[in-house]
Amino acid sequence: MKNKIILILLTAASPAMFTGCATDAHYVQTGDKEQIVSLGQINIQDYANAANAAVKELLESGALDKVANPPALLELSRIVNNTSQQVDTDLLTKKISIALLQSGKAQTKTVDTKAIGYQQEKEFLSDQKSTRLPDFTLSGKIIETVDRAGSTRRTTYSFQLSLNDPKAGVQVWEGEKEIGKQGTRSSVGF
Amino acid sequence: MKVARYYFLALAAATFALAGCTTVNTVENAQKEGQRTMITDQRVITDASLNRKVAIVGLNRATTPGGLLKIQVEVENHTRSLQRFLYRVEWFDASGMQVNNVISAAIPEQIEGKESKFISSIAPHPGCRDFRIKFIEAD
Repeated sequence: MKNKIILILLTAASPAMFTGCATDAHYVQTGDKEQIVSLGQINIQDYANAANAAVKELLESGALDKVANPPALLELSRIVNNTSQQVDTDLLTKKISIALLQSGKAQTKTVDTKAIGYQQEKEFLSDQKSTRLPDFTLSGKIIETVDRAGSTRRTTYSFQLSLNDPKAGVQVWEGEKEIGKQGTRSSVGF
Repeated sequence: MKVARYYFLALAAATFALAGCTTVNTVENAQKEGQRTMITDQRVITDASLNRKVAIVGLNRATTPGGLLKIQVEVENHTRSLQRFLYRVEWFDASGMQVNNVISAAIPEQIEGKESKFISSIAPHPGCRDFRIKFIEAD
C-alpha cells in the first residue's frame, strides 16, 4: 500500500519536475523581467539603456536647441567598437536618431543612396547647391573592461558619445553610460 | 561545550543574517536653494511587497530649456538590503493618447539599503503632458 502511494506521488511529481526544467518558446518584451543577463556580451537591453541615457542627457542639455534653423541637422558619424565582440552600432545610433527625430529637436542626414542621388540630380538640373551642412555630428566609442576574481567576472561596457559642432570644431555635448554585469555565468532574469 | 556550540551557531546565524545588509549614510546642505515643484500623485499598488521595500516618496516636475517636460521620482529603500527593480515610463499627449517612444524599454535599477534615490525621465516630445511610471520587482 505504502509503495503504491509513493509510486503515485512519484508519477505525479515527475511531469512537474520536467516542466520546471524546460521553457516553451514564447514572445517576450525587450527589457522585461525575464531578460537574459549575458555576462560576456552586449545585449539588446544594454543598447536600449545606453540609448535611453544618451537621449535623456542630450535633450536635457538643450544643445540641440542652440541652432539658427531648428530642428538641428544631425549626421551620424563613426562609433568605434573597442570591445572583444562584433557589434552593429546601429543598435545604439538608430535608437538615438529615432528618439531625436520623434522629439522634433533634430533630423538626421539621410544615408539612402537613392535619396542622395535625387538630391544631386536636382542640384545639377537647377545648377544650385541645396545641400545643408549638418549642424552637429554624433560620434562615439564602446569600450569593454573585464575584471576577474576567481570564477566571478565583471564586465563593464562604457558607451561614450559626443555631439560635435563641425562649423566651430568643438564638442558641444558629451555623455557616458556605463553598464556593468557581474557573476559567474549568464542568467535569466534581471 | 554545549554552550560554546550554541554560541558558535548564534554567531554564524547573525553573520548570515547580516550578510548583504549595507545601508547608506548621507549628508546634504540644510538650507536648500533649489525648490522642487512637487506634484500630487495617484498611485495604484498591486505589489504590496515591492511597495513595502521600495516606497515612492514624492514626485516633482520641471521643464527643460527646450520645452520638454522632465519628471523626477524619489524612491526610498525601507529595507536594510540592496533591492533591484525595473521601471518603465509611459508618456501621454494632451488628448490622453500614449506617445510612441522608441526607448520605452524597462530600465533596471538598484537601490542600497535605506537609500533614497531619484529616478528621472524626459518627455520624448514637447506635446507630452502626462506620464505614468511602472515599477516591477526583480526576482
